[in-house]
This record gives sequence, structure tokens and C-alpha cells, in this order.
Amino acid sequence: MSPASAIAWEFRARHRWGLLALAAYSLILAAVKLVIVMRGITVTFVDAESFAFADVVPLTATFIYFLSVFTFGLGGDIAARQSMYPARLFTLPLTTGALVFWPMLYGAIAMTALWILSRLAVVWPADVRVPLAWPAFLAASLLAWTQALTWMPYALRGMRVIVTVLWLMIIDTIVMVALNLQAPEPVMIALVAPQIPLAYLVARFAVARARRGDTPDWHAATAGRARTAAPFRSNTQAQLWFEWRQGGRALPLLVALLLPFELAMLVLFRGTPAIAGEMLLLIAFTPPIMAAFVAATMSRPGAFAVMRPMPDTALIAAKLRVAIYSTAATWLLLLATTLIVLRLSGTGTLVADQARQLREIFGTARAVSLVLLALAFVVASTWKLLVQSLFIGMSGRAWLAKASVFGTLTLLAIFPPLAHWALHNHEVMKFVWNGMPWFLGFLVCLKTGAGAWIAHRLHAWHLMSERALLAGALAWNAAVFALFALLAWTVPELLVRHYVLALVAILVTPLARVSAAPLALAWNRHR
Amino acid sequence: MRDLVIDVTSLTRRFGAKTALDAVTFSIPRGGVYGLVGANGAGKTTLIRHILGLLRAESGAVRVFGRDPVADPAGVLSRIGYLSEENDLPGWMRVGELIRYQRAFYPAWDDIYAAELRESFQLDAAAKIKDLSKGQKARAGLLIALAYRPELLVLDEPSSGLDPIVRRDILNAVLRTIAEEGRTVLFSSHLLDEVEQVADHVTMIDQGRIAISATLQEIRESHRAGDHVPSLDQIFVNRLRGAVQ
Repeated sequence: MSPASAIAWEFRARHRWGLLALAAYSLILAAVKLVIVMRGITVTFVDAESFAFADVVPLTATFIYFLSVFTFGLGGDIAARQSMYPARLFTLPLTTGALVFWPMLYGAIAMTALWILSRLAVVWPADVRVPLAWPAFLAASLLAWTQALTWMPYALRGMRVIVTVLWLMIIDTIVMVALNLQAPEPVMIALVAPQIPLAYLVARFAVARARRGDTPDWHAATAGRARTAAPFRSNTQAQLWFEWRQGGRALPLLVALLLPFELAMLVLFRGTPAIAGEMLLLIAFTPPIMAAFVAATMSRPGAFAVMRPMPDTALIAAKLRVAIYSTAATWLLLLATTLIVLRLSGTGTLVADQARQLREIFGTARAVSLVLLALAFVVASTWKLLVQSLFIGMSGRAWLAKASVFGTLTLLAIFPPLAHWALHNHEVMKFVWNGMPWFLGFLVCLKTGAGAWIAHRLHAWHLMSERALLAGALAWNAAVFALFALLAWTVPELLVRHYVLALVAILVTPLARVSAAPLALAWNRHR
Repeated sequence: MRDLVIDVTSLTRRFGAKTALDAVTFSIPRGGVYGLVGANGAGKTTLIRHILGLLRAESGAVRVFGRDPVADPAGVLSRIGYLSEENDLPGWMRVGELIRYQRAFYPAWDDIYAAELRESFQLDAAAKIKDLSKGQKARAGLLIALAYRPELLVLDEPSSGLDPIVRRDILNAVLRTIAEEGRTVLFSSHLLDEVEQVADHVTMIDQGRIAISATLQEIRESHRAGDHVPSLDQIFVNRLRGAVQ
């Protein structure tokens, strides 16, 4: 077996189920198309939604899947400083060029095949104008850059995510600008295609560094200094320190790295209120968005941690508290810097205008409570996104984590076109609006049912006492009632019925997933 | 009734079709060094993971200090010092931080003993765990397993892949632990000469079953051929050959 076929075999063997699923999907699609052609049916994509369902959704899902497969990203730690290129391949008697070339080539072929298939699915038999080749080059170049940047060793933990996301955003922006200028196909290809060899050179440099163990470490500057700190007062304090150092600092650091770019954009567009407003929204949603990415680093139990002589509930409590500290640090940083920039750049007047309009519409008290509610929502969402997937990580089951990622990606791919289609369809919206209380009621039953089952298991496994469970239930009820009261006072009943608000309050207050975390840890800790 | 530190009764564990432990009954009284020997995959680590509460007994019972390690992990783990071949120490911690963190969990932590061990193991407090060599990591693991003078020290293949100097450190630590009254060591290894040096009692596990469990002296006597007293290594190999034949 040649090195090229050995590397190909590895991709095929490791991802056979995913590739088989794709092959099956393609066959089904081909069969459907064949039936359409044989019956002489003319297919036209009359709106964006049908196009999205037929093509964009599977295309996006497969694109993301290929990114994970060909970067070797499914088995690695994306936040680590070390290269994500598998170290076991470094000892193969191959040049670094070959180690880089074959995975990049297979990735490029896969992306090209994906485009050809997607284009065929759209163009044949429908008569839709779709670019010929440049999207294939774009997909291949995005993959090539992702490979290069994920295989690069970095000086700081988490730096890989920021560098990769920023670089891909720059490429996307260039492409969007070119599309807005209605650049023809050859220009688009000339813009995108040369990036593939460039990415190859960067990847070769990255893998060469990783292969010789050249991983920079900016923390090493402080390595020689041993800090003598006072002993911890208790094991709880020690565990909080451990969790903070292990994953708690990631969110504030990540937001601190992104914030300068966002604030610079805010200052840059201060003359365009619409864009400045959008930038402010983006800034406000940065912590929850980043929290979703950081959550994985907080939910790794680790063999060392499970050997702590502490109850499962205490270990989880430390994680929940560190998530609170992490959220607080992030928001203090964000609010302080944003307020300073708003004041210094003169953009503050835009916010003041918006606040004045809000006060005129709702009155001072309601306007203030609306703003506080919105702020509380994004802050609480940040914490919630940090901890709601704890139970998956704490279970220590790789299959559960993979299924969760797959489910989330599928939902993310399906939901936007579905929502767009529903919003533009009067009948559907009428049905959704009328059925909403029933749907919410169903979700509430599901949530409270899951909560009750989890509480029962927590008690049965001696993880929590009856008293602790009762206190938890009372605290949860108090939070739900407080939120409902605030919502009922702020939102007029004419707009939304109070019972719907009650259902919303129950649904947004964390219960089942957070309380499942100690159960999942016990399941992992005592297999 | 003897004061049992570990009491395993009819413990059976299956992983899919494979039976890792088959009705294992095994007990360790307080004091002394107990060697647990067996081929790779015999079930030694599975048994130790049950003792630590990391595996739940499918059938049978496990009691450590009279407690169920699954129901009361904090109560049991706070009395056990554990060192394994797979050194799972967090790489981002410095040695000094590891010691500071670990001492918070054990009220009986002995600062003087910890400092003495750190000095004799030549561990730099400022060094990061991930930058230590394999032998240094093993020493750091041994330090945090010993410094609170645990009632039970569990060593799961601690010397595999380590140089003779680190292995000597580990054996010295075992000897020192038993020199202290009332302490117990469970030492799992396939390096039988090491077990022979320190163990009073040896339990041989083969394909998930207890094959032999007796004092070292009894085992040697029972396998004696005239004047020739076989080594544990010879007994073990003969036993395995017999099982294969």
C-alpha cells in the first residue's frame, strides 16, 4: 500500500459511516431527480426556502462535516496550543510536504465533488443560474486554510479558534465584496483559486514546526518564577481555583481578544447609525456566542478530577460557580470597555437616542425594566450556554458528545430556512401562532417531566438529600415566578397572553440540563 | 473478625462479551504489602478500579474500609493514595500548584514530608507538569499519593516504562509506607521481581479469576521441587503455561 492510499484508507475507514450516509443521501437525491426527469416535471425554485431545503442545508452540513474530517479535527482539542495534525503520523517515513499534500488533496477533491453534486442537484433538471466552478474553489480554499490554521502550533491556548475564525471571515468578506461588485466567474476564480497553494505552503510550515516539536509558549516567560501562595482554606476553594484555571478564564480571554476588532468596527461605522446599531448588537451577543464554543472546555471531567475525594454534587457545584465568575468577568470587561469607547467615540449619542425613543414608547419605568430584562437575558444566556451542555461532557461518553454536535448542526442548518419560510407564509404563521401555547405547553411538560425524573434519580443515587432537592425546587419556582412577574408587568397582555408568558418563564429558567450534570458525572465516575 | 481494608465478594464484571472479572472474592486485612500479579488483560486494573469506585459492581459487593466506594466516593478516596501507570496529572499545573491543590483535600497532609519527598525526588516547584519527564511525572504522582500518609496505598503498574532509579524510589516509598504502623499497600505489577522484593502476600489473577492467593512463603513452599525454591517469576510462567496447555 502506498503512502497516498494509506492516508486515503484512514479517512475512508475512520469516517465510513458518515461517508456511507452521504452516499445514500446522494443516491436518494439522484433517484428523485431521475423520477422528475422521466415524468417530465419542470422544477423551478420559486423562492429561497425551497432552494435552501434542496441544496443549501445538505451542502452546509456536509461542508462542516468535511472540515472536521480533513483537518483531523474530530479527535483533537481545538483550543490546545499543540498542532491538531495527528502526532502519530510524524514518525512515518514521509516528507512533511507529503504529510500535508495528501490530506489537502483529498479534502479538495471531496469539496469539489460536493460542489459538483450540489450543482447537479440544483441545475438538473431545474433551470437555475448557478456559478460554474468558483464555489468549488472557494470551498476547497476554505478547507485548505482551515487545515493550515488548525495544524499550526500556537503560543496561547484558544488562539487557534480566534485566528481561524478571523481569517475565514476575511476571506468571506473579500468574496462578498466581489459578489456585490458582480465580479464575473474568471475574476472570482482568480480571487479564490490561488489561495489553495498559499494555504498549502502555510500548512507545510505549520506541520514542519509541529513535527520538530516547535510549539511556542508565551506562558513560558513566567516558568522560572515559583509563586508561593497561601494554602487553600478548603477543598471547595481549591476546586474553584482548579476549575477557574482549567476553563474559567477561557471566555473572558476570548471575548477580550475579539472585542478590540468589534469596537474598532463600531468606531469606524459611527457615522452610519444602522451599521453601528448592528455592531452594538453583535458586541452584546459576543459573550453568549463565545460561551457556546467555550462550554466544551468547561465540561471535560478528566481522569484526575474524577479521583478527587469530593461528592459528585460538589464537583459540579464548583463548575457552576466558576461559570458564574467567568460570566461576570466577561460582562464587566465588555460593559466597561464598550461604555468607554461609546463615550470617547461619540457613538454614545446613538444609544441615547434609542433610549429616548424607548422611553417615549413605554414610559421610563417600563423602558428601564425592558433594558434590564434584555441585559439580564444576554448575561443569563452566557451562563446558561456555559453550563447547559455540562451533562454531556460529564457523562464521558464520546458517542453522546458526537450525537449532540450532529443534532445541533442539523438544527442550525434546518432552522433558518424553516423560520424564513414560515415567516413568509401567512397560513403557516396563523397555524404556528394558534398552536404556540400547545407547543410551549408540550415543551413545559417535557422539561418538568425530565426535571422530576432527574430529581428522583438524584435522590435514588444518594447524590442529593431530600432537603437539598426541596431547596432547589423552591429556588427554581421563585426564579420562575419573579421572571413571570417582570414579564407580565413589562409586556402588555394585548400583545402576549399571561399564560404564554408563564410558559416562557418556565422554559427559559434552567432546570433539567443543569441538574442532570451531577447524575451524568456519577454515571461517568462509577461506570 | 479481622479488620479488613478491602473486602471484595463474588465480584463479576463483563465488558460486552468479555468477562473481565469472574466471581472474584478477595480481601486485604490492615497492614502489609499485597502484590496483585497477572498477565496483561488478566483483570488487575478492573479490580483496582472497582476498589476505587470508578467501576460499579455489576454483581457482588466491594467494600473499602467497610464502605461502598461508589456510594461514598469522597469518604473512601480521602483515605486512599493512588498512583497509576497512566499518569493523569493536569499538564498545565506547576509542581508547587499541584502540591498546594492536593493538600486542600487531605486534612492529614504532612507539609514536612511533602517537602522532604519533593527534595529527594528533585522536583522543581516552578516546573510545569507537562514539561516533566515520564519518571519525574511518576515521582510527582507518588509525592501527592504519599504526602497525606494514606491508610491504603494503591499502586497500579506504577513502574511500567520507568528507569531503575524511579522504580527504586517507588519501592522505597512502599517500604517506608509499610514501616509506618497500620498502613496497607496494594501493589499491582507484572514486574514480578519487584513484587517479590516488597510483598508479604501475593494474589495472582488469571482471566478474571483468582488463581493463587497466599503469602509469598506459602506460594514458594507449595511450588518447591526438592531443594529448588522457584522464584515468583518461574511460578507465574509455569502457571500461565499450564493454563495455556
